[in-house]
Amino acid sequence: MLIPQTRNIGLPMMNLMRFKGLPILQQLHIEEQLLRTSSENWCIINDGTNDPTIVMGVSGKPAELLEIESVLHDQVPVIRRFTGGGTVIVDHETIFVTFICNKEAVPDLQPYPRPIMSWSNTLYSKVFQGIGDFHLRENDYVFGNHKFGGNAQSITKNKWIHHTSFLWDFDVRNMAYLKLPKRAPAYRSARGHLDFICRLKDYMPRSIFIDKTVEAAGTHFSLRSLESEAIETCSETEFRPLTRFLTNEELEAAAALAGQ
Amino acid sequence: MIGRRLLQKRVWNSGRRWLFPSSLLSPVPAEYCKRHFSTHVLAAFSSPGDNPVNLKIPYTENKCKFFSSIAVAHLSTNGIVDVPLAQTGEGIAECELLKWFVHEGDEIDEFQPLCEVQSDKATIEITSRYKGRVAQVLHVPGSIVKVGETLLKMAVEENRIPLVVLGNLENEKHCDTKLNKDCTGGVLSTPAVRNLAKEHGINIDEVQGSGKDSRVLKEDVLKYAAQKSIIEDPSFTATADLGELFHGETSSSQVSAEVSGHYEDTIVPLRGFQRTMVKTMSMAAKVPHFHYVEEIDCDALAELKASFQTNNSEPGIKFTFLPILIKSLSLALSKYPVVNSCFNEESVEVILRGSHNIGIAMATPCGLVVPNIKNVQSLSILEITKELSRLQQLALDNKLSPDDISGGTITLSNIGAIGGKFGAPIVNLPEVAIIAMGRIQKLPRVADDGDIYSASIMTVNIGADHRVLDGATVARFCNEWKRFIEKPELLMLHMK
Repeated sequence: MLIPQTRNIGLPMMNLMRFKGLPILQQLHIEEQLLRTSSENWCIINDGTNDPTIVMGVSGKPAELLEIESVLHDQVPVIRRFTGGGTVIVDHETIFVTFICNKEAVPDLQPYPRPIMSWSNTLYSKVFQGIGDFHLRENDYVFGNHKFGGNAQSITKNKWIHHTSFLWDFDVRNMAYLKLPKRAPAYRSARGHLDFICRLKDYMPRSIFIDKTVEAAGTHFSLRSLESEAIETCSETEFRPLTRFLTNEELEAAAALAGQ
Repeated sequence: MIGRRLLQKRVWNSGRRWLFPSSLLSPVPAEYCKRHFSTHVLAAFSSPGDNPVNLKIPYTENKCKFFSSIAVAHLSTNGIVDVPLAQTGEGIAECELLKWFVHEGDEIDEFQPLCEVQSDKATIEITSRYKGRVAQVLHVPGSIVKVGETLLKMAVEENRIPLVVLGNLENEKHCDTKLNKDCTGGVLSTPAVRNLAKEHGINIDEVQGSGKDSRVLKEDVLKYAAQKSIIEDPSFTATADLGELFHGETSSSQVSAEVSGHYEDTIVPLRGFQRTMVKTMSMAAKVPHFHYVEEIDCDALAELKASFQTNNSEPGIKFTFLPILIKSLSLALSKYPVVNSCFNEESVEVILRGSHNIGIAMATPCGLVVPNIKNVQSLSILEITKELSRLQQLALDNKLSPDDISGGTITLSNIGAIGGKFGAPIVNLPEVAIIAMGRIQKLPRVADDGDIYSASIMTVNIGADHRVLDGATVARFCNEWKRFIEKPELLMLHMK
C-alpha cells in the first residue's frame, strides 16, 4: 500500500534496539557512547535488567539519597549515571525506554528540558490513550497521582537523550533503600514511596506496552531494527563512559562525611 | 485532494533561539548596519527576579563601516565580556554547575562546549557564543548558578562581539520608525511568544505586555493580533464542520502586512502533516484524473435527517447529512466495487477492496487529515454517526492513531461545509476515487409541467483515476448513489 509508505516519507531514520535483561550499567554505557559518538537517532528498549541496582543521577549525593548502611550491608550495587535527575532502584521488573536524537530529528522541537519532556509526553500519550488517566506531572509519568515512570535527560551541543525507567512492577523491600529526596515534585506531597508510585502492570500487559511504544515511536521516526550484536562493535572504540559503579569505599566515605 | 496551504500547528516552544547556549545567531543582513538605529544588547537573558544587563548603544553610520555581517557593539573598553548562564527552559531559575570543559587561559572557538550544568532532570552542555580566550572562571563544580548570573569572563576581540537584538530581525526596517522615538528597550517575553508574534507578522515591541515587569504574554499577542484583525476568531476553526479549512498563510500574512504598512515576504517551513501533504500531493499529481460532476436533490435527505433528529433517543448525538451520505455511498460501492479499489502500478493490478473504509477529509489545527470509518458496509447509520463523531474529536485533539488514518478505500471531502459549489479533488492514493461535495443550495428547478419549484441541490465532483475508471463506470456509480440519496427509502430494500 502506498499510503503507509508515503506516511513514512520525510520521517527521520531511527535505529531501534531491543534488549531483555541487559545489565543496567551496560545499557547506560551504550547510551552514553551513542550520545557522544553517534550521529544517528536511536531508540533503546531494555525489557528488565538483571540484579536489583540503585541508579543515581549525575550529581546525586549518596548520603542524602540512600540508606547507605542497608545498601552496604545488603551489597546492593550503586551506579552514578551520566544524566541528571533522581534516584531509582531497578530490577527485572523495570522496563527502560531511551530516545537519543539529533537536534533536528523532531521538527520544531527546541533542545531544552521542558520541550523534550513535553514531546515525550505526546509520544507516551499515544501509548496510554484511554488508559488510566495518564499524564506527565512535573517530569514524572503518572496515572492519576501515582508515578510509574521516571525521566532523565542530557542535552549536548548537537544531540539529546531522554530516558525513562518504567515501574512494571517493584518489590516494596527495594524501595526501602531509597530516602525521600530533598527536592521532590510538589504533587508528591511528602508521600512515602509506597503511596506515591504504582505499577504499570496493573494497567497494561508488558508486551503490549513495548509494542505500543514502538508503534508510537514509528509515528515520529522511520524505525530500523538493529540486532544487539551491532552495538558490540561500538565498545571496541576508545570511548570512556562516565557512568560507573560507586565503590564501597566511596559509599562508606559519604556516610562518614554525613555523620551517619 | 484540493491542494492548498493550511495553517500548520507549531510546537509552541519553537522559535528563534535568542540567547541559548548552543544557538546559532541569526545573521543580521549587512544593510542592518547601514542604518542609524538604537538597539539593545542583552548580555543576560531576562527571567523573573533577575536584572538583565541592558546596554543602550547608539550607532552612527561611521561606526557601521567596521562591522561584518553580524552587527557588533563595544561592550567594554578592554574586550572582556561576561558570559552568563543563559535561559535553558522556561521557568528554570538556576542550575548546578557539574563540570568545566575549559580552563582559564584556554582559547575557545565559537560553539565550543564550555561546561555542563544540571537542572532538574537534565544535564545540559553550555557552548560558547564567542570566539576568544577564557579570562576568568567564576564558579566551581557543585555550585548553584542562577540563570543570568555570569559563568565566566572571556576576552573577545572587539570586532567579533556579536549583538543579540531584541525584537524581530525580519522586521528590522521597523527600526526606521523607532529612530526618532526614545527607544527604551525591547519588550520582555519568551521565545515562544516572540515566535507567535513573528508568525502573525507583529512587531512584538508594539504589543502592550500584561505580565510581570510588562512582560508580553501569549494572550497579549493574540489580543493585539485580533485587534489588528490579523487572525480570525479561533473558535471558528475549531467548530468548523468536516472538510478542509483553507486559511492560507499567504492570506494572513498579507493582511498583517497591509495593517503594518509593509509588504514583506514571510518564509514558512512546512513540517508535519503539511510536509507529508507536499509529498502525497506531488505523487497524486502524476495520476491522470478526470472529473465527473453531478447535481443531487437533497430534499428527501433533509427530511430524513430532521426525522432522525426529532426521534433521537440518544442524547449527545447530533445528526448531520454525512452519515446518510456515507451509508448510501457504501451501498452504491457494493454495486460498483471497482470504485472501491486500489491500483498497484508495478504489477498493473486492481485490488477490489472487500471493506468499505470510507475516509472523511478533516481540518485539524495541524493540517489536513483523512481518518476513515472502517467497514461501513456492516455499520448502521447510527453507528456511522457515532464513529464519525469519535474520529472528529480525535482529529481536533490531534490524537488520531495510525490505524485511524490508514487503510482507507475511498475519500469524501465535505468542502461544502465551508463553502463553494464544488471542487476538483485529487485522489488520495492508492485509492482510485474521491468525492468532493459542495454546499447544499436552494436553487430553482423546472418541473415536468413547466412549473418552477425550489429544491435543495448539492453539487458533487468525483475525481477519478483514469487508469482504472472510465467515465461510464463513474457515471453509473454516481447515478446509483444519487438514487439512494434522492430516494432514501430504497436504502431499506438493501438493508441486511
